[in-house]
Amino acid sequence: MKKIILTVYMAIIVQFSMAQKLDRSKKPLPGPAPIIQIKNPVIFKLETGLTVLVVENHQHPKITATFSTDGGPIFEGKKAGVIGILSGMLKEGTIKYAKAELDEKIDQMGAELSVSAGGSYVSSLTPYFQEAFTLMIEALREPAFSKDSFDKLKSQHLSSIKSEEKNVTSISSRVVRALSFGPDHALGEFATARSVEAITLEDVKTLYREILTPSKGYLTIVGDITPDKARSLVKNTFGNWKGPVIHPYNPSKVENLAKTEVNIIDLPSAVQSEITVLNLIELPLSSPDYHAVLLANQILGVGANGRLFKNLREKHGFTYGAYSAVGSGRNQTTFSASASVRNDKVDSAVFELLKEIKLIGNEIVSEDALQNAKNLYNGNFALNMENPAIGAGFASSILVNKLPKDFYKKFLEKLNAVTQKDVMRVSQQYFMSERARIVIVGNSKAFSQNLKASGLAVKYFDIYANPVPEI
Amino acid sequence: MSTRNTLSLGLLFLIFSLNSLAQEIKFTEFDLSNGLHVILHQNKTAPVVAVSVMYHVGSKDEDTKKTGMAHFFEHLLFEGSEHMTRGEFMQIVSSSGGQNNANTTQDRTFYYEVFPSNQLELGLWLESERMLHPKIEATGVKIQNEVVKEEKRQRIDNKPYGKATERIFGHLFQGHPYQWQPIGSMAHLDAAKLEDFTDFFKRFYPPNNAVLTITGDLDIERTTKLVAKYFDEIPRGPEKPKINVNMNALTQQKIDTVYDGNIQMPMIFTAYRVPGMNSRESAALSMISSILSGGGSSRLNKKMVDEKKTALQVAAFNYALEDSGAFFTYASPNNNTSLNVLLADMDSEIELLKNELLSDSELKKVRSSFENSFVSVNTKMIGIAENLSNGYMLHNKNTNQLNEIPSVVRAISPDELRDVARKYLNSNQRIVLYYLAKK
Repeated sequence: MKKIILTVYMAIIVQFSMAQKLDRSKKPLPGPAPIIQIKNPVIFKLETGLTVLVVENHQHPKITATFSTDGGPIFEGKKAGVIGILSGMLKEGTIKYAKAELDEKIDQMGAELSVSAGGSYVSSLTPYFQEAFTLMIEALREPAFSKDSFDKLKSQHLSSIKSEEKNVTSISSRVVRALSFGPDHALGEFATARSVEAITLEDVKTLYREILTPSKGYLTIVGDITPDKARSLVKNTFGNWKGPVIHPYNPSKVENLAKTEVNIIDLPSAVQSEITVLNLIELPLSSPDYHAVLLANQILGVGANGRLFKNLREKHGFTYGAYSAVGSGRNQTTFSASASVRNDKVDSAVFELLKEIKLIGNEIVSEDALQNAKNLYNGNFALNMENPAIGAGFASSILVNKLPKDFYKKFLEKLNAVTQKDVMRVSQQYFMSERARIVIVGNSKAFSQNLKASGLAVKYFDIYANPVPEI
Repeated sequence: MSTRNTLSLGLLFLIFSLNSLAQEIKFTEFDLSNGLHVILHQNKTAPVVAVSVMYHVGSKDEDTKKTGMAHFFEHLLFEGSEHMTRGEFMQIVSSSGGQNNANTTQDRTFYYEVFPSNQLELGLWLESERMLHPKIEATGVKIQNEVVKEEKRQRIDNKPYGKATERIFGHLFQGHPYQWQPIGSMAHLDAAKLEDFTDFFKRFYPPNNAVLTITGDLDIERTTKLVAKYFDEIPRGPEKPKINVNMNALTQQKIDTVYDGNIQMPMIFTAYRVPGMNSRESAALSMISSILSGGGSSRLNKKMVDEKKTALQVAAFNYALEDSGAFFTYASPNNNTSLNVLLADMDSEIELLKNELLSDSELKKVRSSFENSFVSVNTKMIGIAENLSNGYMLHNKNTNQLNEIPSVVRAISPDELRDVARKYLNSNQRIVLYYLAKK
């Protein structure tokens, strides 16, 4: 049978190639745009405050559940690292099952379970799901909190802090946050050996009681399950879970720099420097600028077709990749442009990054550039449909961000209405070349003189963001 | 006790029912007259199509004096074609709503685009353009040389523990091109000339050394016609040259030390030379790695991280390549434990595998884990495309290989696992690497 089909195909091929010679200079045109169908989840809310979203999808014999709490950032203060330890403690067994037993049960099913303070996840083949899901709930509701586990985790955290001391990328991400928001801010603080040493088991338990509660909780179940089955499973496991109401912590607002400056963290062992140019922004999803900022950022620095990539990589060969990113949401966040660059090209790379950031705010983008960026967004929206959880993701984003119900239905419509002028206006407003912080972690001998000579203010910090004298 | 029994009976029943649960990936395959092998898989769940070409060339096909060539060449294949100027390739992909990338291993080079399904034909045009007449020019070579060196700095030189694989493979595969890494040497990259690349293209990039795999929301008949339209005219090339291998059997343990300026915490690595991926023994070794370190209840994790608390992390994995493989174990210390203590603990677990048969419960665990990952890896169209291509290219033209993994895993017995451990996981067939902080 297979052979016959093949012969038929070959016959078609021969006929075709005899019929005409292909004109290769013409790029083929797309077919009619596919219809994008976002599958809405079934949503219900329990009295305890928990919102449940279910997406039924029988494509694979698999079910995944995720749980998270919409509590906003948490300030840890002198006990920085306590969230990490709490997350670890949730994996250390329950009142009913010791860690070894819990691990054994999960592994016997070939399931995946990850519980943490920020969000939890369980995934398994359909026949095992009820049991795996129940174990996740137990881990969240009845953690053992043994002293032995606590001591183990503390020693692991201390070892892990030490192991990262010379890691350029991890130093960079820590220092960038600390310098931007300040070390006494939920978004800027970080764990040190000292803060981890100060954490007690009681601290972990207190934090657990405050933040692990169904209040403002979101549970998403996606896969080979009907909404009815999901509902009864949730009621049986989660229904009587009560906890305090979460009062989200509102981090204080931080001002941008008055004038662009360079912050250098000297790491003589680095063969490449991490450069981050950033400023703080506020961009809730409900902002009228939201879609325009996404497109402006797309043109500037997303992917291999962004200006930063084309300039720093494809024109100059300074880096393997240069990109920009914009945060969004209810809290203050950042716009940033970054690249890993060999030490002796750092100064040139900084100037090119600043040049591109400035340019997109001062010169109108071409119609083609904007259309291309829109096309990419439209295409990627279709590609997202490969993810069966996408409908639930959209729905929970609407709830969490208090967006109009049709926010994602109208997403492309709004995006496609953005004009060239909008792009320039929001670039000027959100991408600040004149008030940027430029953080560089690397071998400063190779580039600090040239940066100073350019007239930029240069300050020095250690790997924990403390100011140090000029090197 | 009685509850336990009921439970395990229940689970036993589930294993049998899972056989039919794990869905088979269906596909159609055929050859064009120029030798291009084509694989099509239809799945209309999302309006997405993945177009991919895998070429049977990797760093193992390189000249000893020109290492890094296969990967460097991969970068150049984005430079355009007779009908695309420099930079246009990536612009066309993104302005058409798609994503693209490529990667190179020791054995093969893989290029792909993922598009909304109405751009299928564009994907075929793009891939056929660079298979037929790519543009390789001096400017591209010069810039990409710098880019590749930055890639090496970012991924290897500046990365904690980045030099481990390079050093281990250097010893483990002496006499085989696996002894160098796909990224190659900076000196060789600098010395590369334009004609090296045109030669490389002629030698390794004809259609008869490639597999075109298209997956997703497509019509099989129409796609078959479109494939012929764009790929039929590409001329067949010479068969690729055989590689020169002069690898001796390992008879003695080798010990080496690396000093790295990017780290503070030392690590210990071991690597055993094992059979290549297209073998039942390689599947057995993957199962062994899962027994040792897959999941919290695995032997190494349980003993070293949870009970003794000597390790911050510990892992075993089977790095399977086409011609051969490396079975790794490695650990980093917790509480300043010495590397030799970690080594002894890892070794005693390897010895246990050779002396005691796996319990039913552990056997079930490893099978469940493979069942689960079989379903998980086949959820995205680009993943399916790569797995189908791998099967045809690296598993003796067995495109169906991905569908056979669960049954192979089910067929491997505890005796077989023990015998494979006895045969390959011996200290005289391995490298031990101490990875230390440079002062």
